[in-house]
Amino acid sequence: MKYSSKLFLFLCFISLPLKAEDLVSSIFTDMKQFDKIATQIKQNEHYQPYIISVLHNKELEKLGVSNLKEALTLVPGVDMATDNFNNQTPIFRGSNSFAYGQSKLLIDGVVVNNLFFDAYSEYLSMPIEMIKRIEIIRGPGSKVDGINAYAGSINVITYAEDFKGFESNDKLVFKYGSYDYRMGGFVKNFRTKEFTTYIDFYYQKDNKKISSGPDGLSQGLLGAGNVGLSQSGKAPLWLDEYSLGLNVKYKDLSFKARILKHKQGSAYGINLALPQDSDRLKLPSYYTELGYAKKINNFNVEIKAGLQYGAFDSKSKLLPDGLDMGSVVFLDGVYGEHYAKQRVLYQSSYVNYSGIENHQITLGYRATQEKTVAMTSKLSNRVTGDATLVDYTDTLPFFDKDAHRNVVAFSLQDAYDVNDKLSLLYGVNYERTSYKDAGFEPRISFVYRKDFKNIFKVIYSCSHRNPSWQEMFTKNNRARVGSTNLEPEKVTSYEFAYIRNFTNDSYLQSNIFYLVNKNQIYNSATDPIYRNSAKTDIYGVELEYKGHIFANDQVYANYTYLDGRHSEDEGKKYNLPNVSHHLAKGYYIYNFSGTLSLGSTLKYVSSKDRAKGDTRSKVKTYTTVDTSFNYKNRHYNYTLNASLKNIFDTDVRYPSPQNTYVDDYAQARRTFLLTLRKSF
Amino acid sequence: MLRVFLFSILFIQLLFGYNYDNLVLKAQSSIFPKIMLLDKKVQNKLIDNKIIYTIAYDTSDYQTALHVEEYINSIFKGHFDRYPYKINLVDFSHLSPNTEASALYVLQSSTDNIKKAADIAFQKGIVSFSYDVNNLKDGLVLSLIIEKSTILYFNIKYLHVKNIDFIDSLFPMVKFIDKNSL
Repeated sequence: MKYSSKLFLFLCFISLPLKAEDLVSSIFTDMKQFDKIATQIKQNEHYQPYIISVLHNKELEKLGVSNLKEALTLVPGVDMATDNFNNQTPIFRGSNSFAYGQSKLLIDGVVVNNLFFDAYSEYLSMPIEMIKRIEIIRGPGSKVDGINAYAGSINVITYAEDFKGFESNDKLVFKYGSYDYRMGGFVKNFRTKEFTTYIDFYYQKDNKKISSGPDGLSQGLLGAGNVGLSQSGKAPLWLDEYSLGLNVKYKDLSFKARILKHKQGSAYGINLALPQDSDRLKLPSYYTELGYAKKINNFNVEIKAGLQYGAFDSKSKLLPDGLDMGSVVFLDGVYGEHYAKQRVLYQSSYVNYSGIENHQITLGYRATQEKTVAMTSKLSNRVTGDATLVDYTDTLPFFDKDAHRNVVAFSLQDAYDVNDKLSLLYGVNYERTSYKDAGFEPRISFVYRKDFKNIFKVIYSCSHRNPSWQEMFTKNNRARVGSTNLEPEKVTSYEFAYIRNFTNDSYLQSNIFYLVNKNQIYNSATDPIYRNSAKTDIYGVELEYKGHIFANDQVYANYTYLDGRHSEDEGKKYNLPNVSHHLAKGYYIYNFSGTLSLGSTLKYVSSKDRAKGDTRSKVKTYTTVDTSFNYKNRHYNYTLNASLKNIFDTDVRYPSPQNTYVDDYAQARRTFLLTLRKSF
Repeated sequence: MLRVFLFSILFIQLLFGYNYDNLVLKAQSSIFPKIMLLDKKVQNKLIDNKIIYTIAYDTSDYQTALHVEEYINSIFKGHFDRYPYKINLVDFSHLSPNTEASALYVLQSSTDNIKKAADIAFQKGIVSFSYDVNNLKDGLVLSLIIEKSTILYFNIKYLHVKNIDFIDSLFPMVKFIDKNSL
């Protein structure tokens, strides 16, 4: 007995510290796990080595935000532009509004910019219910995985993202709104111990038409004799699309796929003549990506391979009846069918090494092969003027059917935690293409955490945008002519940020930026050949506040001032064209209770100067206010949302280039939207 | 008019809850009970051989307190290590030195309520955890926030307090903070 008591005491003494060490180890593991989740969901956005804003579905749904485009208009420094195809694109910090690919859109990490325009307009209508979170990096920012973000990048995270303990509900959604808008869709996750499968699906259509005009013929684009044929009327801006997304994860393997069948009205016309109601443009997008991620000791290996298809598929009446081209008169107008299908193959391999204390070194490459795989070009008879389509695919194609480009990008990056307060990220990208190369592009950023309330960032980075297919390979066209001699557009950015955290969830962030843009690619209605014709220096300030007035509300507000100079070949400097100098956005959500809330968004966009030689008055300032009422039934787990957008019926116009639609591109006025969501 | 406005603000604060970050709540629910077990004197704080983990909440935050209870139960399933536990939800208005508690987790509330909770925890010689790191300045012991990484903040005032005596292995994991830096 005596001995057993002593043995018991001895065991207690040796077991207590062991138990304690187990607990410490468990706490440490938990903290690492939460670090990982926080980094992945950008909870620790203020500590990231770039300027980032994160929009969460929870707030966006309460605000009645309908789709990705509406969400992006809330971001500091982001304005929206469009063109005659209604190819809408977010403009980051006054970037070139005619160069779509200056920002990249990623869906669950897959770049979805189409090759033809390098744009992603077809994804801007993605319903907000399919989106868990949107991470927007302004500036060249993150260049991981060989993806060049020039002015900004948008990472859309769907509900495929799933952490243990943070599982999302499955969801069913229906919407109805102005312009006979109808939408239905769902998100669904299947989980087993080692297998997770995620599916989302949506179908949506509307009958949107907006009064526009007079069209481009009024500016004498096709000769003074045809000015009289110019029309004003309803531009077909309707939408008809469906999408099916699939993400599968099994152990270290992942598979991502999406089919987007996007069809829209021909908007303002390929040749800037108002098209018919039924004329359409298809911008389908399909992608698959296979991934393998494995941690081996201090190495994290990530290998991806993907295949993407996209197309430009237009069928419309291009020019009106009675068009007189001198040698021929098109009594029944000019019709056209243009089709160009592109394929992108890519493979990337990256290794992250964490074996050196406080360092995370990432090295890898991404190789891409881009190719046009099919092209047809049909037009009314150019000789006789007969409206019946003639196949000009081989004789006068609108596009180079052999267009192709290979790109390989290498990157080396080190994230170094100098001490508790200072982190450093530095690295270099090197890219070669089968046309003009961007070469070496360095990057360095410092994040200094004085304490948990005061954070400072300094960032220097260089990046580029390769010319789009449209800018390189279009031909035999009055509106745009490509050139394979184009240099990539280049940007060097200098950014400084200060973040003041007030509490866990309220902060004020201020950013100062200076961007030097070279080789900017432009064309015009009078000179349709794309050229590296401009340089721009842009500087500005962004202020962003998130917090509360009362305990039960949420306030978000941001203000951006930007200015700069635009210079062309001859060296003279002009005001930045088509850029608002003041942007102010914000939202307010008032939670009456856990079930009822009222939300409002406000957007102010100041006037825009015109391009050199454009004598039109400035594009007008506008302010829009949206409001939304949200009811959540916790018992049956459904939500009803009614929202009124642009409640003061403000006339919003996006700028048109000179000699096109002289009164710019009118946008939707006051509209309503009803949404029913059911969670399971 | 000013009175009406101020009353409205007060009334609204009473009716509706504070804002909470879900990830922070989950991290705290997962980590705080484990830290409590690193108290060398945890045995002395058992009540009927159980740990009573008391959550002090503002009336408006009852739902949040319930969520925290759910999180903890889903993680620990009835036992903090070898100790059975009971979650005790207590409205600040009912919190007193007589409230049973082996540890106190304090959600957001007015400064007076936070100070009251800190005083009670100190008198009882138990560890107090705070949702909001700013409340350490009012006398609570530990908090957790998510900065670049997950950080545990320890109120330096409690480093040498008789009844709260953590094992040494905890201290390399925390950042010490005093009320002047909050």
